[in-house]
Amino acid sequence: MTDSTPHLPGQESWPGLWHHLAVYGSSWLVAMLAIILGMFVSLLLGLVAALAAGLSFLTIHRLLRQKAVADQEKHLVDEQLLQSQKLAALGKLSAGLAHEINNPLAIIRQEAEWLLFLCRQSEPLDMTEAISGLRQILKQVDRSREITTNLLNFARRQQPIVQAVNLNRLVGDMVRLVAKETEQRRITVVTQLAPDLPSINSDAPLLRQVILNLLNNAMQAIDQDGTITISTQPTEPEAILIQIHDTGCGISKELLPRIFDPFFTTKPQGKGTGLGLSICHGIIERLGGTITVASEVGKGSTFTVKLPITLTPKEI
Amino acid sequence: METFRILIVDDEDDFREAIMKRLRARKMEVAGANSGPKALEMLDEQEFDVIVLDVKMPGMDGIETLRAIKQKKPLVEVIMLTGHASVESGIQGMQLGAFDYVMKPVALDDLMDKLRQAYERRVLQLEYGRKNI
Ligand SMILES: Nc1ncnc2c1ncn2[C@@H]1O[C@H](COP(=O)(O)OP(=O)(O)OP(=O)(O)O)[C@@H](O)[C@H]1O
Ligand SMILES: [Mg+2]
Repeated sequence: MTDSTPHLPGQESWPGLWHHLAVYGSSWLVAMLAIILGMFVSLLLGLVAALAAGLSFLTIHRLLRQKAVADQEKHLVDEQLLQSQKLAALGKLSAGLAHEINNPLAIIRQEAEWLLFLCRQSEPLDMTEAISGLRQILKQVDRSREITTNLLNFARRQQPIVQAVNLNRLVGDMVRLVAKETEQRRITVVTQLAPDLPSINSDAPLLRQVILNLLNNAMQAIDQDGTITISTQPTEPEAILIQIHDTGCGISKELLPRIFDPFFTTKPQGKGTGLGLSICHGIIERLGGTITVASEVGKGSTFTVKLPITLTPKEI
Repeated sequence: METFRILIVDDEDDFREAIMKRLRARKMEVAGANSGPKALEMLDEQEFDVIVLDVKMPGMDGIETLRAIKQKKPLVEVIMLTGHASVESGIQGMQLGAFDYVMKPVALDDLMDKLRQAYERRVLQLEYGRKNI
């Protein structure tokens, strides 16, 4: 026996294949190998690509989730802050409330008893006396109503009171109010107020709070020697813009997303509570507007407030 | 024009009397108080629509008085009167619920405008409360 290879039945085709290949040339083999190799490589590449995609998806997903958690936390902190503020205020309010309501009630009762006494007398009723008693009762009812109105306002979390507001005048007033302090710091305040600015329907005292806070931040960012430019202009659909630009220290990219957070401050203790911008943000939101910031470290910052010309008060 | 009830709170007698006289000439109902505590006392006895309150007073200052007024009568509008405010005290006053700041020396037309707006706000607020009770 020259052939030592055991032949198993059914394996005859194998040598046949090789033979076949040998007969029809090696180009076939090369082609086949190339295809297989190609498939292998593309499979590998696909796998790598899929892996990469999966990984980046995971990272993005994780990042998104982290952001969602952070947002939720911030929301929670905001909520809690609001809640504790509400509770503290409510506690104070209810203590005062009992006292405040009992006073007019006591007077009303006294007057009513007096009137009753007068009516039961056999003599004819003393009209001037009766009228003065009734007046007093009306006055006390009004007083009580003011108290309940306050309470409602409180529950409504200070619904804005909508009046016609001349923004140019409001801005000018606030700039003049702080003029002495800006002078002392050798800060020039430039106002660029659009002469054709329409008067808007909004809440003036709340807007004054916002402007003062933004001026305060701008001043503190400059400290000494610099310029604050405050401008107003009408803008597309039925809105106006107020911009406050300062040549102060600016805000880094890392900190920028956090400046509107309550209690976020970079100022030394006792100098800033970190509530200014979160209050501004809350107010502008209630007034149906937006507040945004652009800043560059070392160059300065610009805060832009956009307000609708007409604020339709929301009913609760 | 509608008259409304104004209380002027300022420790400077001459200034207070002068403003009161000029506002009366414009048919306003005006009373005066020479200190924060006096103003609070008057607030217990009578109704006022708008209070004009000096920031700088000896003893109980304007900011302190504002806080007490708003605790007693949150719907009374208060206009702060000042020479020059620091930004900080301006923010504080507005945060405590002041309606506006007016600078001394006071231009009467300017003050009149602000008084009217403050009064309008009070009326709106009272109406709002009435509708929702
Ligand atoms: N114009 C500005 N230029 C540079 N940084 C600013 C400016 N405005 C705000 N910031 C930054 O944003 C932070 C938060 O501002 P925000 O007004 O909320 O609080 P604060 O000014 O620190 O304290 P507060 O306003 O309560 O006195 C500031 O501490 C500061 O780092
Ligand atoms: Mg601030």
